[in-house]
Amino acid sequence: MTKPTLSRRAFLASSVAVAGTAGLMPAWPTPAHAQMGKVLRLRLDGDPDVLDPGYMSGGIEIEAQKQCLPFLADYHRDGDTITWKKTPFANRLEQRDPTHIDFELAEGLEWSDGYGPVTAADVKYSYERMKGTDWSGYFEALDHVEVTGDRTGTIVLNKPFSPFIMVTLCHGPGAILSEKAMKDVGEKFTTEFPAVCGPYTYSATPGQRVVYDLNPQWSGPKPGFERVECNVITQVKAAELAFEAGELDCTELGADTLARYTAEMPEGAEITTAGELQYMWLGMNTDHPKLKDKTVRRAIQHAVDVDAILQGAYSGTTTKSNGIICPGLIGRREDTKHYRYDPAKARELLAEAGISDLDLTLRTLNTQERMLAAQIIQANLAGLGINVKVLPLDSGPYWEMGQESKGDTWKELELWLMRYGTTPDPYEATQWFVSDQVGVWNWERWTDPEYDRLYEAGIKETDPQKRHEIYVRMQEIMEETGAYVWINHEPEAFVHSAEVKINAAPSGELNYRRCKPA
Amino acid sequence: MVVYLIKRLGLSLAVVCAVILVLFSLLHLIPGDPATIALGPRATPEAIARYAAKMHLDEPVWMQFLIYVGNALTGDLGVDVFSDRPVTTIIMERIGFTLSLVFAGMGWAMLLGIPLGCLAAVRRNSWLDRVTGVLSVGTIAVPSFLVSIWALLIFAVELRWLPAIGAGEPGDLGDQAVHLILPAFAIGLSWVGYLARMVRASMLEVMGETYIRSARAFGLRPRRIVFGYGLRVAILPTITLIGMGFGGLISSTVFAEIIFARPGIGKLIFDSVMARNFPIVQGGVLVATGLYILVVLISDLLIAWLDPRVRETL
Repeated sequence: MTKPTLSRRAFLASSVAVAGTAGLMPAWPTPAHAQMGKVLRLRLDGDPDVLDPGYMSGGIEIEAQKQCLPFLADYHRDGDTITWKKTPFANRLEQRDPTHIDFELAEGLEWSDGYGPVTAADVKYSYERMKGTDWSGYFEALDHVEVTGDRTGTIVLNKPFSPFIMVTLCHGPGAILSEKAMKDVGEKFTTEFPAVCGPYTYSATPGQRVVYDLNPQWSGPKPGFERVECNVITQVKAAELAFEAGELDCTELGADTLARYTAEMPEGAEITTAGELQYMWLGMNTDHPKLKDKTVRRAIQHAVDVDAILQGAYSGTTTKSNGIICPGLIGRREDTKHYRYDPAKARELLAEAGISDLDLTLRTLNTQERMLAAQIIQANLAGLGINVKVLPLDSGPYWEMGQESKGDTWKELELWLMRYGTTPDPYEATQWFVSDQVGVWNWERWTDPEYDRLYEAGIKETDPQKRHEIYVRMQEIMEETGAYVWINHEPEAFVHSAEVKINAAPSGELNYRRCKPA
Repeated sequence: MVVYLIKRLGLSLAVVCAVILVLFSLLHLIPGDPATIALGPRATPEAIARYAAKMHLDEPVWMQFLIYVGNALTGDLGVDVFSDRPVTTIIMERIGFTLSLVFAGMGWAMLLGIPLGCLAAVRRNSWLDRVTGVLSVGTIAVPSFLVSIWALLIFAVELRWLPAIGAGEPGDLGDQAVHLILPAFAIGLSWVGYLARMVRASMLEVMGETYIRSARAFGLRPRRIVFGYGLRVAILPTITLIGMGFGGLISSTVFAEIIFARPGIGKLIFDSVMARNFPIVQGGVLVATGLYILVVLISDLLIAWLDPRVRETL
């Protein structure tokens, strides 16, 4: 009886055939970086879901609006300071007095799909409509828009509000819509613009990409690229690899990759930092029995080694914070006033408070960097004899823990790591700590009449130097409460081909039409 | 066979009902207010009220459940929290990408794994058998997300032979096929090992049967004995494995879809979990579960059709 065999030769022949087929596949063209001036390839961290400025989430949706809708003003970097300037959509944008802003639209601006010219009536419709939307907070100071001609008008504020241009007109909510087109779509839209006016048109393939092609009706300045392809890549690591594979010309960077690239930059790449409009701090509940004594809070202020957190948790890629006002903004402080890292002083203060044994809970969002930061704080405070339990939380319970309307957790709140984002004006960061925010966003639960008074003064004041002094003083008041250890400002950093010059808003939204071949 | 089919369909329906119950509970079991979790901490009261109305959160829980089940049975899986687009439409846009990836991944694994298993069994204890054994265990042991990253680093980043991201130009089948190679390789590799091991073990058992000895005694050609008689019987347990594999791959493609930034059901569910977009999470998981049950059902029915003994086992 013969043993059944499958011929090895036959098997190998089949395998070779399969391998040969694979080998005969054409050599795939090596993806090269952008054909300069033709196509710019970028990353989107998700699908733009709601393009309507009134109901958007922000971020990538603002990026889309900036390419396809008119704005009166845009961010401008003047040295280290972030300021504003009028866009090509406006011939004139002037603050006549504290409550009146005059504008004149540029000539020849046409809406797509036959909706006619862009008019001052469109500006009036767009801004007054915003008062009834999810982004109404940005238009609280708007009274109405006065139309004085086809292309001219005046934005009338109901109170002096100096940040209006920076906070509202430069940002996503400042987008102008076609009144006629909006009426045709029922005054609300999601994934398609009712009409566009800008250098690019918009088309999206959900889950895959968004493509911006040149708008044939656009008569303003030509953008740097004929086409912008934005690939939907939700994970930042995947986008970084795509950049390294040459399939993207620019992408945002995570903190660890930023550190790696800073140490060893990939060939032909550059890093651009858009802004650092996030501020993180260690907060303390001044109402909690364990922390009611200011001396204990001051001891904790002196015990936390912020430099160790910046190195250990953020690989040295973030900027040390001295308050809630971010780098590049009016009111930014150069140093702390009431504390610095000094373990000996911290021990002395704790002894002065008569504390020898203290157990505290530190709550934090469950992300890698924050967990590392929390552990460093835990180690710092252990050196003082304070036993800290780190409690990581998911975003749901985390964002509710200090809000009185969401339960009783605020009563147990002791220490927490918090990060807020802001727009490029100091007013926004300071609004969360006024007296009526206690139990809402002021989880530290202190009040100070001087702070409240300065907050109102800062909004009205138009002189930059005076505003600077106001906001510096406000941060000193915050620090003096002992309820804060300022930690850092995380950057919005982009890696891009050295052959591309990118333009990004301080809050991290890329403005494709201002990107150019280097 | 009809009774078997009815029993299996009943069982599948029970599983779907259990999944619906779990998915519905998900929204209410997660700590925190569902509207605030979905819309973010600084959502306006108006937006929260709109969301609550849209999700029927203002109704009693039992009523919410009935509404959800009723809608799901009619194919209405709700609307995306953010864009207001129907969840069914969003899922249908992605499902083709996942299915093509699953078929490509399992397809190449079958093409290589089954012949390798046969050869290893026929050449038992030869160097080929040993090498196949080592490679099989090796490929099974390495998780697919690791293979994805390595494949991407080697073939896309270093060598730049194959694309790193995306599903290819819409409408260009050639480009889409090229974009399928690396992810399909990554998710299929461990299945080469599984299938080779399974087929080898089954074949060894079958090749010792008397009817195989008879076939040899009749002087039939070895290839015919192996593929015509041996594999035909030995493939039965492998069909079950392949069925479960197809089902499992539908959900486990998530790693490849994330790493290669491909659209698909797994990535859609993952992104929606991150964005707390509960209607899409619920709809996506329900559809993925439905597909899993369908594929397992088909494989069970196939086996029952091939092997009458199985029909009595339910």
